[in-house]
Amino acid sequence: MKAVGARLPRYDGVAHVTGRTQYVDDVRVPNMLWAKALRSPVHHAAITGLDTAKAEKIKGVHAIVTWQDVPKLVYGHLEALGIPADEPLLAKDDVRYKGQPIALVAAEDEETALEAVAAIDLDLEERPALFDIRKAADPDAPTIHQWGNWYPHFENEMDVRQIRKGDIDRAFDQADTIVKGVYRPAAIEHVPLEPQTALVVPEPSSRLTIYSCTQALYFSMGVVAAHLEVPLNRLKFVGGTVGGGFGGKVDTATETISALAALKSGRPVKWRWTREEEFLCSSTRAPWHMEIADAVTKDGWILGRKMLTLHDSGAYARFSPYGLTKHSFHHTGAYTIPNLHFDGYVVFTNRVPTTAMRGFGVTSVSFATELHVTRVAEVLGIDPFELRLKNANRIADTSPNGVSYTDPSTVPTILAIADAIGHELPADYRTMTRDSRAGELLPEHLVAQVGEVDH
Amino acid sequence: MPSLTVNGVAVEVESAGLHTLLHVLREELGITSPKAGCQQGGCGACTVLVDGEPRRSCLIPVAAVDGASITTVEGLGTPERLSVVQAAFHERYGSQCGFCTPGFLLATYALLERSPRAGRAEIEEALAGHVCRCTGYVKIIEAVEAALRGEVAAGTEPTEAVTA
Repeated sequence: MKAVGARLPRYDGVAHVTGRTQYVDDVRVPNMLWAKALRSPVHHAAITGLDTAKAEKIKGVHAIVTWQDVPKLVYGHLEALGIPADEPLLAKDDVRYKGQPIALVAAEDEETALEAVAAIDLDLEERPALFDIRKAADPDAPTIHQWGNWYPHFENEMDVRQIRKGDIDRAFDQADTIVKGVYRPAAIEHVPLEPQTALVVPEPSSRLTIYSCTQALYFSMGVVAAHLEVPLNRLKFVGGTVGGGFGGKVDTATETISALAALKSGRPVKWRWTREEEFLCSSTRAPWHMEIADAVTKDGWILGRKMLTLHDSGAYARFSPYGLTKHSFHHTGAYTIPNLHFDGYVVFTNRVPTTAMRGFGVTSVSFATELHVTRVAEVLGIDPFELRLKNANRIADTSPNGVSYTDPSTVPTILAIADAIGHELPADYRTMTRDSRAGELLPEHLVAQVGEVDH
Repeated sequence: MPSLTVNGVAVEVESAGLHTLLHVLREELGITSPKAGCQQGGCGACTVLVDGEPRRSCLIPVAAVDGASITTVEGLGTPERLSVVQAAFHERYGSQCGFCTPGFLLATYALLERSPRAGRAEIEEALAGHVCRCTGYVKIIEAVEAALRGEVAAGTEPTEAVTA
C-alpha cells in the first residue's frame, strides 16, 4: 500500500507546469492545412441544394468534403451494442439541428477556409422545429426524425424502456399517502477549456496518424474505421492527453471528417473548433423530464414508485438509449423500493445531440430522487435523515434491475453527513449499518426483494 | 515589422501586424504554452506577461506590443529547475487536465512580484479572469497561497512517482 493515503506527485504534473504537455493543438507537422465547417444555420430543414464549385476555386483551398466523400455515411455510435444507426457523418438530405456539419473545407489557413465556407451554395427548405420533449407526442408536433419523435428500438423493438418489479398495484392500494413530484434538470454544456480538436496526418505508408482529444480512444478508432471502411491497422491514434472532457469528448466529433479531408487533400489537416462552436454545436448533457409518484406509509416506508422519464436525445440517438437504460437501473437512487413501474422514452428534438456527462443518465435521477425523498419526509412530517436511513440500500437488497447489492455505502454516507453537520439522530438510527435487513428493518413488504449475495 | 523579446530572446516577427500575439507565439514561434481556449478574452488560457503584466494574448494585435518583453511559462523554469510558482502548482495539485494552468501560473507569478503578501481576496481578484473546469479552484488557491508564503522552494527536484 504505497499509494493509498499518500500524497503522490502527478505523473504529468511537471509537464503541466512547464507548458510541455502536448495537447492536440500543440502538435506541429509541416504542410498542415486548417479546416472549417459549413454548419446548418437553421434547426430543421430539407437540403435542396449543395454546391461547392465556387468555393473550390478559391486560392488556398485544397479539399472540400461533403456527404459524397464518406464511404459509409450513416453509422451509429452504439452499433456494436445492436443499436441501429441514424446519424449521417455529414448532412445529406436533412439537417436536424442548428450547427450540424454539412461540409468541411481544408485550406492554407483558417481565414481562407472560412471564406470558402461562406462561398458554398446551400439551399434549404426550412421545416418546423421541436424543442420541448413534453410536446413530442402532441398530434400537431412536427416529425423531426426518420424514426418518429422517440427512439423505437429497445429490446423487442419496444419504443419505451420499461422496468416492472414486484406488485405496483398492491403497493399503491396499501399506501397511506401518494407523494408526487416533477423534476426537470436543464441541459449543461461541458465547456472543456480545450475545444474539440483533431489533427490527421496522411502517412506515406497509406496509414493515417490521428491526433485526438477523445476520452474514448479505441472507441473513436472504431468509429473512424467504420465510416472510412478501412481496417483498424490503417489508423494510428495518438491520444490520452485531454484538455478537459467531462463526457463531452466521448462522442467522435472531429476525427472522422478531418481524416476524410486529409485523405482528399493528401495533406495534414487540423480542425479546431471555436468556443462559439463548442457552445452552439457540441453535445451537451441532456435535459430531462421526470415524473415520480411514491406510495408511502405514514411511518416512512416507500412501498412503490411509478415513474415516467423523458430523456432529450437531441436530433440523433448517439448514446442516449444507453444513458436512459442506466437511468432506469438507478431510478430509485440510493434507496430500496420493492415495487416499481418505470417507463422511459428517448425523445428526439431539434437540439444538439446530447451525451455523457459525469454519471451519464444517473445524475438526473439522483437529483430527482433526493429532492423527492425530502418531499416525502416533509409530507409525512418525518426527519428526512431518518426516512433515508430506513429505506437506504443494504447488503442483499436488490436494485430496480434485480442486482443484489454487495457493498452499498448509503447508510455510512448518510451517517457521516449527519455527523458532519451536527444533525442529531435517535440511538437506533445512529447505530444503523449497511448489513442485511433484519427485524424492524425487514418489514413484510421488503422480504420478497431480498436477493442472494455471493461473497 | 514588430520586434519582441520572448523569454529573453530577441525576435523579429514576420506575421502581419494585425495577427494576434497568441497567433504569433503559437504558429510563428512554436511557443505552445499559451492556449487558444476561447480566442475571445474570456477564459484566460492564453495569458502571457507583457512587460511583466498579465495580458490576454488572443486580444492583442502583435503590432500593439512592438518592442515589448514577453514572458510565457517556457520562460519561468525548466523541469529540472522549477520556479516557485511552478513548484507550488505541482506540489499542491493546482493542475488537473493542465490546459488552463499556464494562464494561472503567469497570473500568480505577476501577483507574487507585485504583492508578495497578498491575502485571500487579492488572490481571488488576481485569478478572477481565469477559468478552470476541472479543479473547482480550491487546489489552485492553495497552490498560490503556498507560493506566496514561501512554503515551496524553487528548484526542488520533482519527487519520483511511486509505482506499485
